[in-house]
Amino acid sequence: MVSGEGRLAATARYLEERGLDALVAFNNGQNSFLESNAVFVLSGVRPIGESAVLVDRTGTASLIVTPAWDEARAAAQSRTQTAIGADDLPAALGHTLKAHRVDSSKLVTVGLGTLGLALVRRIEAALGGTPPAQDDFTRNLARVRAPEELEAARKATWIAERGYERMLEFVRPGMREFELAAELYCCMKELGAEDNFLLVSASQHNLAVRAAGRRMLDAGDIILSEITPCYRGQYAQICRTTVIGEPGAALAEKYALLQDAMRRGQEAALPGARVRDVCKTIDDCFRAAGYGDFCKPPFMRVRGHGLGVTSDRPGDLTADSDTMLEEGMVFVMHPNQYLPETGYMMCGEPVVITPGGAEALSQRMATLDAVPA
Amino acid sequence: MRSVHPAIIIGSYGWDADRLPRDEFQLRISELNRLMDERGWKAMLIHGDARDHGLLAYFTNFIPRLRWAMALVPRHGEPRLLISMSSRDMPAMKPMTWIADVRTGWDWAGGFDQWLAGLADEGDVGLGTIGFDVISADLFRAVERSLGNRFHLDDATPLLPRERRLRPRELSLTRDAALAVEGAAAAILRTWRAGGGNEAAALAGEREARAKAAQDVRTLTSLDRGLSVSPFQGRLAERVDPLLAYVAVQDSGFWGELFVSASVRPNPLRERAEAGLAAALAAMVPGALARDIFARATGAMAPYPLHPVLSASIGRRIGVSLDEGGVLQSASDARLEPGSVYALHVGGIDPAQGGAIVSAMVALTPRGAEILCRSPSDQSG
Repeated sequence: MVSGEGRLAATARYLEERGLDALVAFNNGQNSFLESNAVFVLSGVRPIGESAVLVDRTGTASLIVTPAWDEARAAAQSRTQTAIGADDLPAALGHTLKAHRVDSSKLVTVGLGTLGLALVRRIEAALGGTPPAQDDFTRNLARVRAPEELEAARKATWIAERGYERMLEFVRPGMREFELAAELYCCMKELGAEDNFLLVSASQHNLAVRAAGRRMLDAGDIILSEITPCYRGQYAQICRTTVIGEPGAALAEKYALLQDAMRRGQEAALPGARVRDVCKTIDDCFRAAGYGDFCKPPFMRVRGHGLGVTSDRPGDLTADSDTMLEEGMVFVMHPNQYLPETGYMMCGEPVVITPGGAEALSQRMATLDAVPA
Repeated sequence: MRSVHPAIIIGSYGWDADRLPRDEFQLRISELNRLMDERGWKAMLIHGDARDHGLLAYFTNFIPRLRWAMALVPRHGEPRLLISMSSRDMPAMKPMTWIADVRTGWDWAGGFDQWLAGLADEGDVGLGTIGFDVISADLFRAVERSLGNRFHLDDATPLLPRERRLRPRELSLTRDAALAVEGAAAAILRTWRAGGGNEAAALAGEREARAKAAQDVRTLTSLDRGLSVSPFQGRLAERVDPLLAYVAVQDSGFWGELFVSASVRPNPLRERAEAGLAAALAAMVPGALARDIFARATGAMAPYPLHPVLSASIGRRIGVSLDEGGVLQSASDARLEPGSVYALHVGGIDPAQGGAIVSAMVALTPRGAEILCRSPSDQSG
């Protein structure tokens, strides 16, 4: 487990061992909850626009953010020695390379390919060519959460659970999906969530979850919610299924399958286990119940995934992933599943890998919930 | 104004064929057909992502909620839209566009290569590109690999009109966006006046807009007396005087944006900002020189310098993106054209008083300037 500050030192060691002068990490200003933001990993700042962090072999680091007026915020939050606000990233990077006395033939990049083409061409001109890419470097460096990041992930999970409680209080037939989403989003922002990958949708027979629309909620609807607040750069996701009215016995019986798959997946997710084996354990629960043909898209997508913006490791939980789980990894495990009798249902928790398996960060595990019709 | 881009655009959004009917898009696509005929291109590739999608939205009505999308528009035949989401998500994406052939972009061979094969021809085939300045280098490499040496790309973006006259139906949607942002700005001021913290006030504005089906909402707030603005920091209870907040609301594809400034004490800086805005508004007539409007606004602001968050500009065109070009700066020699909508922001900073910015949105019509919305009046300031 490497702390945020320790990551700069680890980067310096990496450079020293390979005879490199510097590493430059880039971010395109988009915040995918599924991907690692290399600038955040190294600086602790979630930038507004395109940005870069330069770390040299002494461990000295500079952050460059756009737009220029965001410099004061970046300087206050960054763990780098300097923070520069600029409207012209390539020009500022050129100055920074000179200030760090970097030989541009001895540097590597992370995430350059995620930037827009016009910007990449200008940056490559400033660097005198296309340096080697080490795009997995920061996501591997941060694959195990630092203590302060795990704490923030727990807080994000707490916010998600309060958001879901608010949904149970607030939702009623006749309300439109977007009204429900607006209330949940703002409620969680009030609790400190700086962002939220929030999908809330309903149907009498769901095929998948989607962003809220104008559909009016009705008795008998099954509401799917994928609630993913971000707190201090840590996304945490809970997946829930809620019925408007009394759920039938068949629905409850099928939902128990998802809950069982979740429990077994948690037990199997031990340090050293392969992701594919965890997925097989989950899929076996559905196979045993006669739903083996449904353990593939479009009836499900993945059995979970990493959570940005620190590191997306261990990646997607799929039956062909050879990734090995490590103690301290944080991700969401969700045996969400379409079944022909019920439609798509959701059940998932953010988990941290411990010697005893995947420990849920949530206080209350997903159940099939009901609200009055 | 730029703000932290969200992980996903969560608001309700779809193609409203009643307000933007198919013939609107036929008119828009005719721009592309003309270019394809002039240049001998067989098709156009229009790229957009969750952050930069103005032109993609203009031609397709589609706005990516996350990642990217690419419209493949042949000169002859039906267009296709590739979206970087799973095939399972496509049913939820289809209602956002008039294009019928909507496919996942994750199946590159089936979605792109197969479509490209349909254009096969003898010799070198030309394709026009739009929005490729912001395409990720990784995605561009995938496009290049598919093109091989049978096709070549030409950048069509500079050939598109720099400014388009809004048709009445587009202006009508812009008015809706202006109303939405005005409501959000009023909620911000109301909450702050009632004793709320600065970020709590901004959140009240966001809640107001989201509850009314806003497609997207962005806010920035100052916690340092208006000297700078920041994305949400979770410091909701902190109340700082003066208030400076920014809110942008996207509604049915069109953006509205305003700053909100207020103070519990008389605020000469805000008064000068109001004077600067009034001077700019008086000069907003078709044919006016952009630099003259800038000079009038900043002259009326004297002795205060222009607020640094405005990046040496007092406004630009606004529409399907927050920045449609036409920036109003000291050296801008462009003339204002009727049929455009501008967002104006005028304000300054002062070490003793903090900062203040006031805004308006203005449509330039053949009859003159129509103020679509403006910052709420701070009666007690």
